[in-house]
Amino acid sequence: MAIKKVQRKFGFWERTYIPEVLKGLRLTARHLFRNLFIHMAHQFGLAKHLRGGETYQYPDERRPLFARLRTLHRLTRREDGSPRCVACMMCETVCPADCIYIVGGEHPNPQIEKYPVRFDIDLGLCVFCGYCVEACPEDAIRMDTGILEFSSYSREGMIYDLEKLLSYSRRQETGDRSQESGVRRQETGVRSHREVLNVKPET
Amino acid sequence: MDYLIDLTKALFIFNVVMGFMFILTWMERKQSALMQDRIGANRADIFGLRLLGLFHPIADAIKMLTKEDFIPPSGNRLLHTLAPMMALFFALISFAVIPFGGIYQLGEYTISLQLLDINVGILYVFATMSMGIYGFVLAGWSSGNNYSLLGGLRASSQMISYEITMGATIIGLLMIYGTLSLQEMNQAQGELLWGWIPQWGIILQPLGFVLFATAVMAETKRVPFDIPEGESEIIGYFVEYSGMKFGMFYSTDFVETVLAAALIATLFFGGWQVPFLYSDMQLDHLGKEGPPGFHFPGDTVISLSEVSVMALQVGAFLVKVFFFLFIMMLIRWTLPRFRWDQLMRLGWTIMLPLSIANILVTGLLILWIES
Amino acid sequence: MPIITVNGQEVHVEPQFTVIQAAEKLGIYVPRYCYHPGLSIAGSCRMCLVEIENMFKLAISCYTRVRDGMTVTTDSKRVTQARKAMLEFLLINHPLDCPVCDQSGECDLQNYYMEIGQYDSRFLENKIKRKKAFPVGPHVVLDQERCILCTRCTRFCEEVSRSHELGVFNRGNRSVIDLHPAKTLDNPYSGNVIDICPVGALTEREFRFKCRVWYLSTRDSICSGCARGCNISIHYNESRPYKAGGRRAQRLKPRFNPLVNQWWMCDEGRFGYEFIDKNRIEQPYLRAIAELELSEWDKVIDEVSTALKSAWQKFGPNSIGVIASPQLSNEELYLIQKLFAELMGIEQIGYRNPWEKGGFQDDFLIRADKNPNSRGAEEIGLSGDVRTILEKAACGEIKILYIFQHNFDSEEARKMLEQAEYIVFQGTNWNKTADFANVILPGATYAEKDGTFTNFEGRVQRFQQAFLPLSEAKADSEILTVLAEKLEYPLVYLTAEDIFMEWYGKPYEGLEEFGEMISQKKHQWTI
Repeated sequence: MAIKKVQRKFGFWERTYIPEVLKGLRLTARHLFRNLFIHMAHQFGLAKHLRGGETYQYPDERRPLFARLRTLHRLTRREDGSPRCVACMMCETVCPADCIYIVGGEHPNPQIEKYPVRFDIDLGLCVFCGYCVEACPEDAIRMDTGILEFSSYSREGMIYDLEKLLSYSRRQETGDRSQESGVRRQETGVRSHREVLNVKPET
Repeated sequence: MDYLIDLTKALFIFNVVMGFMFILTWMERKQSALMQDRIGANRADIFGLRLLGLFHPIADAIKMLTKEDFIPPSGNRLLHTLAPMMALFFALISFAVIPFGGIYQLGEYTISLQLLDINVGILYVFATMSMGIYGFVLAGWSSGNNYSLLGGLRASSQMISYEITMGATIIGLLMIYGTLSLQEMNQAQGELLWGWIPQWGIILQPLGFVLFATAVMAETKRVPFDIPEGESEIIGYFVEYSGMKFGMFYSTDFVETVLAAALIATLFFGGWQVPFLYSDMQLDHLGKEGPPGFHFPGDTVISLSEVSVMALQVGAFLVKVFFFLFIMMLIRWTLPRFRWDQLMRLGWTIMLPLSIANILVTGLLILWIES
Repeated sequence: MPIITVNGQEVHVEPQFTVIQAAEKLGIYVPRYCYHPGLSIAGSCRMCLVEIENMFKLAISCYTRVRDGMTVTTDSKRVTQARKAMLEFLLINHPLDCPVCDQSGECDLQNYYMEIGQYDSRFLENKIKRKKAFPVGPHVVLDQERCILCTRCTRFCEEVSRSHELGVFNRGNRSVIDLHPAKTLDNPYSGNVIDICPVGALTEREFRFKCRVWYLSTRDSICSGCARGCNISIHYNESRPYKAGGRRAQRLKPRFNPLVNQWWMCDEGRFGYEFIDKNRIEQPYLRAIAELELSEWDKVIDEVSTALKSAWQKFGPNSIGVIASPQLSNEELYLIQKLFAELMGIEQIGYRNPWEKGGFQDDFLIRADKNPNSRGAEEIGLSGDVRTILEKAACGEIKILYIFQHNFDSEEARKMLEQAEYIVFQGTNWNKTADFANVILPGATYAEKDGTFTNFEGRVQRFQQAFLPLSEAKADSEILTVLAEKLEYPLVYLTAEDIFMEWYGKPYEGLEEFGEMISQKKHQWTI
């Protein structure tokens, strides 16, 4: 690999630091006064469409979720309400964290043949790689609940069983959330890292 | 009566300084947040009232007072307790000689708005600031922790390095104003150069101002000169402190910042001076005629009562201090920390020679003008 | 002997060899479904097609005899194309059951398809529905949809078990494998059809849905079910204990040994692995007054050694009786003989349970003697009469009875055990003898230790440790060495192989591949 060394030449004023420090101060001061102005305006109920910071005030305000974000797992159901899962253990096999525990059983219907007697996911171990969703031949496991808040006071509480996983449904918000947040960023005039790096958002 | 006046002045200074400190703890969070496109502290509320997080300093105080005061078993109990007190005490008493207003004739009383007008004024400030180092060194040593000891050592060497520059820079001003008393220096800054430019320190000593501002910021031990703390490497001399004793170091930081701002304002920005605004006493001092009030060049006079002149001048001083606090906060949240060797090189090989050159040039200019 | 060339390599083979066998000799594997070396040749699956020089068409290698100078190619484009086409035919009616099929992972249809499959299906018509999973016998489930009609199972029932249960019914694309009327697949070798079925048509009822095969580890072993000593592999699962209720040994599979069991094993042995994980003695026990109580190894070893020592010192070596077990390995039996007979001078040492009646026996594999190592015990010289020992114990002549493994469940034995003064029981599972024991030492099953068995013909065969002993149980040789140390007879062996070296004069590596007839050069006793 060829390495090109670029020696930057500093002029006199750059070497005194003073103009450069002032430039820096100008930049930070600009942000300060802009945000200060917006916050003050908000206090009087004005300019509500502008945001004075990048921060999401978490419990009050949630980040928009991107359409393909991997969130809490759920198990899908057949039309008759029974789990689609046939306990083939593909997800269990592919799981890099070994956090899926399946025990198969004999289904009374020989056309279905096999079903999960036990299907536990230890979310305390899960790394949310989504391989289980990729591996599933029956579209029985998905990570589209949009649920990001799950916690427990014990390790056992982090183990979600068949019934619990079946009880979730696909998240309600539809539409392309990525577009929405892009609009917000344009309005605020604050550039996202994508814009700074000149990367086109995935469509 | 004199005692009563002195007590009032002392209370005023103490309250103003503590008030500034209080606001600074809030400002530091809020200003940095705004500069970085964040929101900043806004959760503490009283009856649902949040007021942009203004209650956070109160919450902080409650937290610090109720936290466990831990003294490390390997530490020295007496010195560990004494150190934060010393640091805060010396930072606070420095304000005794800072004039926050001029000398006014109110009825039968002549009031100088300065707690203590001593003829070594500025040297007193330097002395108290140097004494403050003991607080940090003792804190570092008495904690029985190598990191805090390292922090204490760094603090002392940094202070010594930059105090020399600070002292050398001041000499220029002393040569011009011919006095050590800060009140007299402020009086002198009210004079006009060529009849229309106020004779502020910044105008006469621009290089001196840059050097002094840098050095005094180094004295406050805040970013970019926070090497004694160095949160990312050693945490600093107060690593073993908790509760209100940590709170005292924390306040010392801010009190020193206020002191630095007050010193810059006093020495280089005319202190309580408002351009062309003079009180009775000052007019006498300048040998001018007329009522107290604005005396613009070209003999335009707006006369004001002595009390309103006093109020304006005290207000001007506070505004100036606040302005420099703001600038220092801006710098603190804009620049990254120096490395130890960079700091020493800056202190000894750049600022010290420059300040000595400043003395020589000032001396030559004075000689040239006088001849 | 004819010389033939396969894929450019020359090989000398017997004239009765077929091409597939010649290729095998060179280590070249030809895909096959219907061909099995233990069965007659059907030539119906057409997977083993190869190209033979100067032959107009591709030939099935399983049925083509070798001729001198024959040149065979097994991997040309033409051959691959033909196999690909055959696989496409086979998959026409084969359901895509792989996620629920127990065979997936060891299915030849899957394996060959991964290699040379036609991935985009061209079949537009509907698949023919047949009967799904239904039991055809006590151990076997049949799924007719998955069957590719290789007829290995029907040939097995005709030629090996000669019980004629299975046959092919109907014609053309309606052909199915099914039971003959009024028959069930319940011959003593029925489990073998599961092994030879190349797809998931015949699966095991016991193993069904318990575990995916790729979770299993395998270890070579010897069946402990009878004196035949069939070569087996233990398939076990330790990493996922929640499968099959924590059972470690999941199934046993026969291992090829031309001199003992060829490719087969009986159902009794195949499904006789339950005792490895069930009803086990997991910890040492000590009888306090009336009840057995949990104890610790140090305590029980102290207890046993003091009891043995005091009896030996007070009443002499004849006050101790030892009943070894033919379930133990040669190494352990050797240790028993060495410690108790040679070093302690005890004469009452026996091994044969006099109440044990011989079981079922046939002229193929199954032996009446249900112990794997009776011949080994005989060879080592543990020839005392157990009935006499028990009688002596009952009348108080023998103070301490040290019983290994045996389950004395007859009325007569029970009475004698009741009268015995002090019984030490060392075994793997709870049984009638354990009920009378004063001390219980938990031993390890054959799957949990290394060793050798000598089968009824005198063939010494090695078995390997698959997993660690359950809970606090220990290999019997380890218990005996610790006990010997307490008794101040230092017997220092690090592994079972060290004991084998001393007894047989060879390391395990030195044994022949398929086991060897017991050598007369083995250790001679000086008693």
